[in-house]
Amino acid sequence: MKNRFEGVIGRRDFLKTTAMAGAAALTMPGMKAFAAGNAINFQTWSAAVDLVKSHVAAFEKTSGLSVEYANSPWAQYRDAMVTKFVGTAPMDVMWVSDAWLPEWAEAGWISPVDEFDSLMAYNADAETFCTDSMTYKGRQYGLTYYTDFMGFIYDADKVAAAGFSAPPKSWDEVVEQSLVMKEKGISDFPMMLAMAKESWLIEFMSAMVFSHGGRFTNDEGGSIMQDEKNGALSALQWVVDAVNKHKVVSPGCVETGELSGLKAFASGNHAFALLPKYRLAMLNDPAQSQIAGRAKQALMPMGANGSHATVGWMRFHGMATQAAADKARADNAAKLIEWFGGKSDGAYTFQKLLFLDIGAGFGVKPLFEDADIRAKYNTYADVAIIQEQQALARKKDVVTPWFGDWNEVNGASWQSAILGNVSPADALKKSGEEWDDLKSQA
Amino acid sequence: MRLRRHFNYEERTALLFIAPVMTVLGVVAVFPIAYSFYLSFFRIKLTRPNRTPFVWFDNYLHLFKDEMFWTAVLRTTTFTVISVAAITLLALFVALLLNQDFRGRRLVSTVLLIPWAIPYVADALMWKWIYDSGYGALNGLLYQLDFIDKYMIWLGDQDKTLALIANAFVWKEVPLATILLLVSLKSIPSDLYQAARVDGAPLLQRFFHVTLPSMRTGFMLVIIYETMIAIRHFDLFFILTEGGPGTASHVLSWEIYVETFRNLSFGSGAAMSYLLALITFALAYFIIRTLGRSV
Repeated sequence: MKNRFEGVIGRRDFLKTTAMAGAAALTMPGMKAFAAGNAINFQTWSAAVDLVKSHVAAFEKTSGLSVEYANSPWAQYRDAMVTKFVGTAPMDVMWVSDAWLPEWAEAGWISPVDEFDSLMAYNADAETFCTDSMTYKGRQYGLTYYTDFMGFIYDADKVAAAGFSAPPKSWDEVVEQSLVMKEKGISDFPMMLAMAKESWLIEFMSAMVFSHGGRFTNDEGGSIMQDEKNGALSALQWVVDAVNKHKVVSPGCVETGELSGLKAFASGNHAFALLPKYRLAMLNDPAQSQIAGRAKQALMPMGANGSHATVGWMRFHGMATQAAADKARADNAAKLIEWFGGKSDGAYTFQKLLFLDIGAGFGVKPLFEDADIRAKYNTYADVAIIQEQQALARKKDVVTPWFGDWNEVNGASWQSAILGNVSPADALKKSGEEWDDLKSQA
Repeated sequence: MRLRRHFNYEERTALLFIAPVMTVLGVVAVFPIAYSFYLSFFRIKLTRPNRTPFVWFDNYLHLFKDEMFWTAVLRTTTFTVISVAAITLLALFVALLLNQDFRGRRLVSTVLLIPWAIPYVADALMWKWIYDSGYGALNGLLYQLDFIDKYMIWLGDQDKTLALIANAFVWKEVPLATILLLVSLKSIPSDLYQAARVDGAPLLQRFFHVTLPSMRTGFMLVIIYETMIAIRHFDLFFILTEGGPGTASHVLSWEIYVETFRNLSFGSGAAMSYLLALITFALAYFIIRTLGRSV
């Protein structure tokens, strides 16, 4: 009886085809490097993928080194990376969020890069909060991928229609202008706050707290959020009053995420909003926004004892400990970090291209003077205000190995206070106790 | 030799054929279940890979003392009771309707299946848009019909959150429950109705004394299945509220997710999962004992 596979593919054919496929695969750049075993394993989340790929290609051409580039979606990135670290998957350079720095550093998955003078030289150009955000226990763990800060955005037409010549400078003025807008029927809830439980919530809270002159923790890392004078009380009290007493912020803010809030603001429902600064580009794009041309940025309003401070955040290029442990691998990894986070060909090419491509903020001051960047900014924003606000940005003071655990409780506490279930003081007391408890277990 | 002594040729052949499947099941099902039970005796936090002490039943004992855990149990119970009751009643009503001959019955049956065919994530995103307090369809509809004079807060109102999530759950689950009950209805012998008519039983009596008792198996199936699905349900909570506002939708499945995948505490997450599994088994046993007694 004839074998039914006979005539389709024989054993020799199979072996020949396999060998040819293998040879073909090895000629592909990634596989070649893999086979050689000396590729730099570079892991990112799925952002600006084409730009990253072309910058990787330029790096390979210039340095003669190979890069094995892979990316995964932002939503699953942290979990995917933790799994890879635990499973000791090959890793040299990766994008890191400032929120994960302490836990990854404590776990021994990433290593400081401050022994590379070539990388540390770029700190002279960087904003202070950027270097602060990449520093843990006095050691610096990387160089910029992108950075941004929470901005106070307003609809210039609504402010003018309410009879004001300038946007509010303080949180009291936000209430004052909002009440006039309500009275004139300009907006039911003039101030947009996105207080839903999502990853952005800590940035919104931090911007409120910093601008009210408060902090969540002190320099020693102890909780002071519950402190009446220096903590987060006045900020949370302002939010609670804005929702329940003045009714200038919608009670629906607890179900409004950053994206929903952005859409509502872009639809013209509100006059003021706290939003990441990079959202200005979308807000002033007529194809995406009904308030295009009217969305302006002002300095973060001040609380009674506060300042125009806001919160900034960092995403940076870090080095895996497994790479740092091997001198040759570490040197190669440092070269790739410099190519992306520092200068390539004598300029901050990647940060500049990233800004021009997707509007992502940069953390180095000289780029503010770049003609292309200024021209791009001028199409939708005021560079001077952005520069001034960025200089006032501060790193989050709650980023610790136990940040994730605490953040769940803190988010629920703030929401409970906004809903009127507990007083702001009790909500922050609970957050503070949770912080101390987690800190003692760490 | 021992195998030959205990099993005859036919049994040995059968064992040989099921061995690959049993091996696969052992690797992908039995081992993970057993291993996760083992993990529940350790304090494992992935971000502290070098500190994983064996803590015996501490993870379980800690849960019993945790106020949030009991709140989650209460919320899960409320959600389950509301959902299963609504699903059963609605499915019964629709099944009775579809059991009648009327024009367009096939079309109605087909349309009924649409919610069931939609994946839970899509279902959740759709309801998120419907419930949105700023631009949601629900507010738009009620406003245009003059039922409300200003847009309402839906998911952000802690008194409504659980009921609204239950509503989205019921919408998705009613079709399957209807089909199960319809099958049960179709299997009732027509002689029973004829005999009841001969005895002079009016419509309501026929319904309470013939239809309902004959559907006991169908009800048992629906209640057990929907209870198990509701208790463990996660998708809607994840997409609609992330456990909020405040702690208004902190159910057990959400607690387990946060503990395991956000806090990366696999030990206590596994302990919670085992408690949830135990509760589910206990409930299923209780329902079978109660409803299945005379089946």
